[in-house]
Amino acid sequence: MNCLEASFSKDLGSFSLRISFELGEEIAALFGPSGAGKSLTLKILAGLDRPKEGRIVLNGRVLYDSASSVFVKACQRRIGLVFQELALFPHMTALENVAYGLKGPNKWKIARQWLDRVKLEGLYDRMPNQLSGGQRQRVALARALAPKPDLLLLDEPFSALDGPMRRALRRELKKLSLESQTPTIYVTHDIEDVCSLASRVFLIRDGKTLASIDVDKLWDPHAQESIWHSLGWGTLIHGKIEEDGGSLYFKWDKGRLKVSCSRHLIGEASVFIHPNHVKLLYPDVPVDPELEANVIEGKIIEKIEINGSVRLYIKGSGIEWHAEYPGDSYLMLEIKEGQNVLFSIAPSKISLLTPCFNSVS
Amino acid sequence: MISSLIISLKVLAIDVPLLLIIGVALGWILAKTEFKGKDLLDVLVILPIALPPSVLGLYLLMTLSHIPFIREAEVLFSFPAAALAPLFPSLPIMIQAARSGFSSVDRQLEQAARTLGDSELKIFWRITFPLSRLSIMAGLALASMRALGDFGVTLMIAGNIPGRTQTLPLFIYSNVEAMNFLEANIAALLLTILGIASLLIVKKLEGRHIELS
Repeated sequence: MNCLEASFSKDLGSFSLRISFELGEEIAALFGPSGAGKSLTLKILAGLDRPKEGRIVLNGRVLYDSASSVFVKACQRRIGLVFQELALFPHMTALENVAYGLKGPNKWKIARQWLDRVKLEGLYDRMPNQLSGGQRQRVALARALAPKPDLLLLDEPFSALDGPMRRALRRELKKLSLESQTPTIYVTHDIEDVCSLASRVFLIRDGKTLASIDVDKLWDPHAQESIWHSLGWGTLIHGKIEEDGGSLYFKWDKGRLKVSCSRHLIGEASVFIHPNHVKLLYPDVPVDPELEANVIEGKIIEKIEINGSVRLYIKGSGIEWHAEYPGDSYLMLEIKEGQNVLFSIAPSKISLLTPCFNSVS
Repeated sequence: MISSLIISLKVLAIDVPLLLIIGVALGWILAKTEFKGKDLLDVLVILPIALPPSVLGLYLLMTLSHIPFIREAEVLFSFPAAALAPLFPSLPIMIQAARSGFSSVDRQLEQAARTLGDSELKIFWRITFPLSRLSIMAGLALASMRALGDFGVTLMIAGNIPGRTQTLPLFIYSNVEAMNFLEANIAALLLTILGIASLLIVKKLEGRHIELS
């Protein structure tokens, strides 16, 4: 049964948003490149922005309907939202932040229980600036979940976290969301976040929902092709993971990349490489040790400048690589189409897609 | 001098709450709302700073003397006029401080409070006001000192009547004119001490504001 049915549009000058999706009692990812309209979608769902037309129904309750001029205010929607910058109230303690949306005589007890659930026992009286990034993230999560919302929205919840912290919080979010039976939608542009947490993924590009895919089917090469083609941005390679001289490599017919992953993953796999993680190298400058293992030579087949960023299509090792960087980077390389370049991807930045990914992350 | 000091303190006791209420209300409207004619209100609010006090006083005198209720109540050249006069040159300082305080509050904090079930009024009391409190208090300290030191506007609409409308700045003026420098210097020293104290308060509040943010 669907909890949420949303279909709306909004025009913002040259950008137009046309969103349509349905969500059951599940965790879904809103996945797409930067500027696709993901955060705006969350704000419209939460009632912080008003669409031009459409209809949003949550658990049978009409939150927005342009035809009958219904617009339920954000404060009455019972939708929890965790902002990308977290938006913790800086003049309140962790406990006061969590208790903010609670009412009644038990509000402090409930707030303490929530902080305990997110493993912040004893940090009740800390101010937000006395907490680490991961702890702040947990407070924000507890604050959004404490009033028992009908829907939880998270805007890039893991973007500020790295490595183990990111994985730990993903596990906690999944646990909390399932335990509290709160349908959850989170925004990400990281395929690893999608695979390890969501059961459904909504693909968004240029303000439009392109597809709704069951995450279990992400391993299916056809689904992967569909994602890749839908997004049209990012490098997806099919191959296998092998061990060579104590290190693990992802190999395909015309090349290989050193990867950092568990030996459990040896076997058939695919990798997805975000365009921001493809780093160009200066020929006469020593290579960063992290990038040393994966140096590839390629030829620039297309260069596009968009909104202060540069997008490159590079042909190398039988693959078309997509790279993106700020317009003021790599000026010394004087990048132009047809030019040969050296580039690399840090092993830690290579996202692995394998059939057993869900069980190991 | 004592009677002038008492009049000045009474003026301050009336003006400080008015500065706070009117300054916060107009500062919030200018910082948080969009409406037709906002630019005009913006200019009108800041105009008293751009005008010489004598011009501002003259405009007030002309306007107030044409309002029947004010004329009949004989407000002009009485204590109520002495209490009202300093508000005009000091309100822009208060409004600008409140406005910049409210504008500096991250919009996302208010949006977060909204998703947690708070109405706009509650958001103001729980989020916006506490987070801009230090700017508002600093603005209030400066505006209060401007009100305490007002000379031109008070002289124009309240006159310089000892025991009724003669505030400390007017007392200094009268004593200098009468070549009585000792009393003028004591009053000036008193105002200087109060001025330095208010600036120290402002500095301290600004320091805490930076620390908080």
